[in-house]
Amino acid sequence: MRKPPALIALLGVFASLAALVPLGYLLFRLGAGADAALTELLRPRTLELLLNTTLLVVSVTATALVIGFLQAWLTTRTNLGFGAVFAVLSTLPLAIPSYVLAFSFTASFPWFSGFWASWLVMSLATSPYVFLAVSAALVRTDSSSEEVARTLGLSKWQVLVRVTWPQVRPAAAAASLLVALYTLSEFGAVAILRFDTFTRAIYNAYRLSFDRTAAAALAVVLVLLTLLVIWFERRYRGDYQVTRPASQKRVRILLGKTKPLAALGLLLVAFAGVGVPLYSLANWSIIGSSTADVSEIFEALVGSVTLAAVAGVVITVFAVAIALWVVRYPTGLGRMVDYSVWANHALPAIVVALALVFLGANLTPWLYQTTALLVLAYLILFLPNALGTMATPIAQVPKSLEDVANSLGVKGNRSIFKVVLPIAAPGILAGAALVSLTVLKELPATLLLRPTGTETLALRLWMATEELAFSQAAPYALLLVILGGLPALALNTQARKALSEVGN
Amino acid sequence: MLLEIRNLSLSYGSQAVLTELNLEAEQGQLTAVLGASGAGKSTLLRLIAGFEAPTSGEIYIDSKLVSSATEVLAPEKRGVGIVPQDSALFSHLTVSQNIGFGLPKGSDARVNELLELVGLAGFANRKPASLSGGQTQRVALARALAPRPKLILLDEPFSALDAELRGRLREDVKAVLKAENASAILVTHDQEEALSLADKVAVMREGQVIQAGSPTEIYNEPVDLGIATFLGDSILVDGKVENGKVSTDLGKLSALNSVAEGQVGVVAIRSENFYLQPNPSGDSEVIGRVFFGHDAVVEVQTPKVKIRARSNGPFAPEVGMRVTVWVRGAVNFYPN
Repeated sequence: MRKPPALIALLGVFASLAALVPLGYLLFRLGAGADAALTELLRPRTLELLLNTTLLVVSVTATALVIGFLQAWLTTRTNLGFGAVFAVLSTLPLAIPSYVLAFSFTASFPWFSGFWASWLVMSLATSPYVFLAVSAALVRTDSSSEEVARTLGLSKWQVLVRVTWPQVRPAAAAASLLVALYTLSEFGAVAILRFDTFTRAIYNAYRLSFDRTAAAALAVVLVLLTLLVIWFERRYRGDYQVTRPASQKRVRILLGKTKPLAALGLLLVAFAGVGVPLYSLANWSIIGSSTADVSEIFEALVGSVTLAAVAGVVITVFAVAIALWVVRYPTGLGRMVDYSVWANHALPAIVVALALVFLGANLTPWLYQTTALLVLAYLILFLPNALGTMATPIAQVPKSLEDVANSLGVKGNRSIFKVVLPIAAPGILAGAALVSLTVLKELPATLLLRPTGTETLALRLWMATEELAFSQAAPYALLLVILGGLPALALNTQARKALSEVGN
Repeated sequence: MLLEIRNLSLSYGSQAVLTELNLEAEQGQLTAVLGASGAGKSTLLRLIAGFEAPTSGEIYIDSKLVSSATEVLAPEKRGVGIVPQDSALFSHLTVSQNIGFGLPKGSDARVNELLELVGLAGFANRKPASLSGGQTQRVALARALAPRPKLILLDEPFSALDAELRGRLREDVKAVLKAENASAILVTHDQEEALSLADKVAVMREGQVIQAGSPTEIYNEPVDLGIATFLGDSILVDGKVENGKVSTDLGKLSALNSVAEGQVGVVAIRSENFYLQPNPSGDSEVIGRVFFGHDAVVEVQTPKVKIRARSNGPFAPEVGMRVTVWVRGAVNFYPN
């Protein structure tokens, strides 16, 4: 077995150490001020946050599950018609960052805030995840087992409950976990809608009172909640897999009298998740266009794009290095690097940002409020996902190609540059673009760690919203959807696949 | 009559899948529907199960109208069980849960009886993913039989299995169906399967049943050339009826069916109906031989035509030997 090149090992170990920073620093902080942290946690306020957060996570997960499942089932398994149209409408909210969605609602309805507002916005923002996972599972499961169930005496509604649902349950459970984690770590939307969850409380504790111990103590609870959600999913997702290959035929259930009702329901969800935000953004952008400062918008745009490009390149370099290490030179150390990077994949951005703020302010003042530290935060946050998308194209290059290249005179590891990377390039580039777009839309870490003088679209939107200057904020929101959300959706392989499969 | 299908047609737009199809099946019998792929066999099963509505025509089960262009009884109310081609087991349930799916709660005795019957008594708590192809089909059969349906539909249930397993499973399925006194429709494209398993065979072509009858009837007296060649390896030779016999390049042959003097047509001779008599001064020569062990296919050049004859394996003549070719028994004559 060959050894990984030194550069790969160096990048991998660095990423691995960086990944340990957030949790390491939180634990250190708690150890240093254990008494103060305990006092903070025992305040009634913490209980209130816990209740609020749990209520929001549970209600959003349940709602997104119901909406996403019905969307998927109606479009793939019934004779509702317009499958492609409804599939696009069900997926489109993915293109709108959740804090932009929240903004678009408050801008149109000033009274829109609190629990119900957060519940609605987060449910609309997350139901596409359920829709995509469940529709993919439905397309892949053979409908002939549903037909068999009919011959065994079940009505079509009983079939839905006893056969269809159990077959897609693992996919639905995985998507629900994603929704729960997403809601748990969401900062922008709940902050704009003024609903107190852990993320908002951590930000306020830090920003308003610079109370590091309180912020760290709350962050630890948030991390524990995250672990609890992951444990729940592992425990209850079931041990079976749907292994059936794509079926040759898809049999559709005749809806009969419920058809108009179903169509109306889907249209209503699409109206709330896509119609209202787009109308609101367009409307406020037009109102604001007369007073908009084009040079300011341009400055934020340049700031966002630069930051996204730099972070995209850095994250891609690390992701490719680690993917190569894991796939091509499977060593024990390589696996450890992989695990340590993945350990962060569900960590809320606000927690990572907070840890880096502490680190920067106390240990590495020369890094504090520099672009480097912000890019480090992006690296910790988005490396797991980048690794996921980039490891696949690299793993798909057959090992034998490298052997052939070596036998034709390519020296040792040079085959990576001669053969592996050129072949995997399209997949890597798509992954790099996706990471850059994710960085472009990022809010909480950017907010806490931004270098002085740096302006981005998300930051401008945030500040204008805090001042209730909706017409000023709208152009930024619109740009975030057009430049960040829509391209990311177009690059999303899961979404593309679902749309092409559901459409026919 | 258990199943009666009258003038059944189904078309999707201008594309006709079934046209005026008629079929009957009796209580306690296994009826095979035999046809090449694309003949509309699976569609026929889907119509009988009630998954699709016909464009015209009727289906009766136990003399009760279950399908017509206007009225389709829901699948769950028909008492028809189905074993799909890919078995379609419920992947989230165990073997015994699969079998008990159509039974009321607490029917363990029936489930155990079926497990025993299909030879899977030790597999009750396994998940479908851990079963082999043959075991999967056994579970699918038991699941369909469990509620004691009036009729079982088998959609090419053996096609995904390898040859040896297929042979064994066929016998087992036949035995299970007999033990349950079940009536079944088996759809297949495999002549051997249809002929060896069924009490009655219906040959389908282009959305119609061309001929129906007992396996021997179908094999010995195919109504047209297409069926004759589809059912088994046949040599076609031109012939003319002279003095009540069919005169061909292989000599004068007697026809099974009634013929009219002077008719011109084609004779179909099955390869096993040739007898090759070793004869150093014979007018034919063996020019090729494919050995299968139990028998062999021997290619023979007669003075005018080349034939393929099936011969007892160990005693088949060698390449280069001279033989005399005889046609055993009567042949089928198809006028042009």
